[in-house]
Amino acid sequence: MEPEGEPERERLLHTQRLKAAVHYTVGCLSQEVAEDKEIQFSKQSIAAISEITFRQCENFAKDLEMFARHGKRTIINTEDVKLLARRSNSLLRYITQKSEELALNNLEQKERKKKKSSAAKGRTTSDEQMEAGIAESEDSNMA
Amino acid sequence: MEPREERASGFRKETVNKILHLHFRDDKTKISSDALLLMAEMLKVFVRAAARGARQAQAEDLDRVDIEHVEKVLPQLLLDF
Repeated sequence: MEPEGEPERERLLHTQRLKAAVHYTVGCLSQEVAEDKEIQFSKQSIAAISEITFRQCENFAKDLEMFARHGKRTIINTEDVKLLARRSNSLLRYITQKSEELALNNLEQKERKKKKSSAAKGRTTSDEQMEAGIAESEDSNMA
Repeated sequence: MEPREERASGFRKETVNKILHLHFRDDKTKISSDALLLMAEMLKVFVRAAARGARQAQAEDLDRVDIEHVEKVLPQLLLDF
């Protein structure tokens, strides 16, 4: 029995699972591009993109953490993510746009909740369950 | 970039969260829900850029996008991100 080996193995397994998740999504996204451009991606190219993406996440994570710390925060927020996108103008525009859409979405959700709670309180549960259902399905894109 | 309608593919919030947490140095570091959603978008863009770039590099050859095409676009991809 080597108890020191266990956490190492756990960590490795954890990393493998995450890499597999990335690989799956990269496959899906590449498939979309492939269908669009009527071309095929070799398995090795998918694997390469997947590996590059996973590694890039390390840079992203460290940068994000530092940006937050620079702002004297422990919670990374959307401003930190926007900073991450600073190197390419089109990327920055896109991310900023998405961020605004998110903010708008949040506002709309708040409005909806306000209206509901000011209306009859009794019958809100089924509405909320439906909304929660919608929010869930948006997230459950991949296995 | 052309705004696409929500397709089936994308990174799950939970996956993005776990991957980023792998590399945080401080235990206390967390990421807000909105920031996670934005990061998922960011990664989607990254993958699409890589795939499309590789596709363009492949335009010369006939068969399909291979690893050498990914290699060709890698420098610019990393510069952009």
